[in-house]
Amino acid sequence: MSALGEPAVAVEGLSHWYGTGMTRRQVLFDLDLVLLRGEVMFLMGPSGCGKTTVLTLVGGLRSVQQGSVRVVGRELLGADESRLIANRRNCGFVFQSHNLHRSLTALENVRMGLEAQGRGLPPDADERCRRMLAVVGLEDHAAKRQDQLSGGQRQRVAIARALVSEPPLILADEPTAALDRQTGHDVVALMRHVARERGMTVLMVTHDNRVFDLADRILEMEDGRIVGNRRGDAKFVPPSDLLPPAAHLPRPVNGAAGAVPRDGAGGSVRSDSLPL
Amino acid sequence: MPTRRLPIFGRTIFRRTPLGWKQLVHSKGRLAIATAGVAFAVLLVFMQLGFMNMLFDSAVVIHRKLNADIVLLSSTARDFSNAGTFPRTRLLQALGVPGVADAEAFYVTTRDWIKQSDTNRGERGQMLLMGVRPDFKAFQDPVITAQQHLLVETGAALFDRQTRGNFATFRDAVERGERPQTELGGRTVTLVGTMQVGSTFGLEGALLVSDQSFFEFAINRVPGAPSVGLIRVEAGHDVEAVAAAIRARLGGYDDTMVMTMPAFIEHSRNRIQRDSPVAVVFGFGAAIGMLVGLVIVVEILSADVHDHLAEYATLKAMGFTNRSLIGVVFEQSLILSVAGFIPGLAASLALYAVVRSLLTMPIGMTLERLLLVLFLAVALCVIAGAIAMRRVRKADPADVF
Repeated sequence: MSALGEPAVAVEGLSHWYGTGMTRRQVLFDLDLVLLRGEVMFLMGPSGCGKTTVLTLVGGLRSVQQGSVRVVGRELLGADESRLIANRRNCGFVFQSHNLHRSLTALENVRMGLEAQGRGLPPDADERCRRMLAVVGLEDHAAKRQDQLSGGQRQRVAIARALVSEPPLILADEPTAALDRQTGHDVVALMRHVARERGMTVLMVTHDNRVFDLADRILEMEDGRIVGNRRGDAKFVPPSDLLPPAAHLPRPVNGAAGAVPRDGAGGSVRSDSLPL
Repeated sequence: MPTRRLPIFGRTIFRRTPLGWKQLVHSKGRLAIATAGVAFAVLLVFMQLGFMNMLFDSAVVIHRKLNADIVLLSSTARDFSNAGTFPRTRLLQALGVPGVADAEAFYVTTRDWIKQSDTNRGERGQMLLMGVRPDFKAFQDPVITAQQHLLVETGAALFDRQTRGNFATFRDAVERGERPQTELGGRTVTLVGTMQVGSTFGLEGALLVSDQSFFEFAINRVPGAPSVGLIRVEAGHDVEAVAAAIRARLGGYDDTMVMTMPAFIEHSRNRIQRDSPVAVVFGFGAAIGMLVGLVIVVEILSADVHDHLAEYATLKAMGFTNRSLIGVVFEQSLILSVAGFIPGLAASLALYAVVRSLLTMPIGMTLERLLLVLFLAVALCVIAGAIAMRRVRKADPADVF
């Protein structure tokens, strides 16, 4: 474990296949990656390179076939259905096409994020959902159904739904694909802002280079392998509870102000030296 | 501790978003079709069961009107209109049993008559012909008793005002005292009054005559061979005990059955249920109704699940369990069953009223039937839900990406 504590996601030697028999095809090849708590990581690459498969495996939507996937400290290899469901409840999902329930209002859709936790609704559920809608700027749209909302507003409702239960990990799959440039940027900026505010980690699959300025780190995939690991334009600042006292002071080192060395000795870390 | 558990239970059950209901009302057209499908199935089942029970009830409609505590009946009796005969001596033997207040012979047969209805004047039909001593109160209905003295005249009869067909003019003429005549069993019958009995499946109505007139119209019948023996028990005596005593007195004769009136009604109902194929026919009709409803609801629920499959998969991805999503489909099933049952029940009550008025036969709703059909409607929708939810179970959360 690093000085930054248990990583939000730790993947080691991950391989995955689709199909059986003659049609069996390998889509992931011995992948390693570490996603630190509070980090906003983008996963990019051409279609079919395996990035969505990584997302579904980390989210517990598929069973891990080979290798290790640890999400907030829990191993998913060999996990049964109940452990996979428990893992899903640790994740907030934002989908490409928002996947809101047509028959529900914005407030009710957000409430589903709390109901999904399987513990019954807390007495202040509606209040929490309204607050979350206010955070995404939709406090006046709580009673509207999706057909009364714009594309950007729908995606913001989906973000509110993903965040309302305050999961440690947000998994997003091309959330800007159906949005125009400005709206797409606003939506991801909002997601990043709210996630950072609440100490959540974000793993987002995207092709959209218009939002790269919002990433702490960008992983590039090709043919089921990670082929690039570079710093995004944003500056990664780990959650304050993980920083040693000295790290709070601005000390420009190696030209990556605000980053933290992996050995925890204070100062900053170059994103290109972050663990895969 | 219950005080801690109850709020959690309440939160879980009552604070859950009613997703099933929301989805149903969101697609109003589909909800209307599903409701109509269930209502149609409910209507079919109610009508089939109603007709079946109407047949059974019509077989005992006269039994219920007779003024007797115990009846004697031929051992070979099939139903009221084919009761066979037994020796009149048995009635005299029964009279000697302590507790028997009165015993009288009642004669029953069927005879063709020439209808005098407004629409079928001159056509032949079949009537139930009943004969009794005019001074014996054979029926509970005081209207009949009050007119029985008119039957002393040979050939005089009381006409069943519920006779099937449009007899309004004829009936009015009888009730105005015009004494219209027609032909019964080849002889002239004079209608001197009306009574309320009711028709059966096979017979259009009934005529009541004196025992003497009965033998005029039914020349093959003799006074010594009545169809039914009507026995009244003295006040303060146990009817069952008196019936047992009569049975003991007639023990040496196997030509006659002794039954209390409730047992007679039960016996007659059981006989028609056992001997006629109607229970099977109507039961089959009810099953077909259920099947039609099932197919409609399965189709509707399956289409609804299919339309919301991506949403169900999304919920699974978010952490919903199969069980909680199956609960949504069951919620829809239960809503559909109740939503369809209410209009189905209303339509059935309306049709029962129409049938009662057209056929003058005893068809009506009973609490038992209502609860049975409600149970069947719920069962139907739950089965449909169980079929539809297989798709929900198969919804793959990974497919939403």
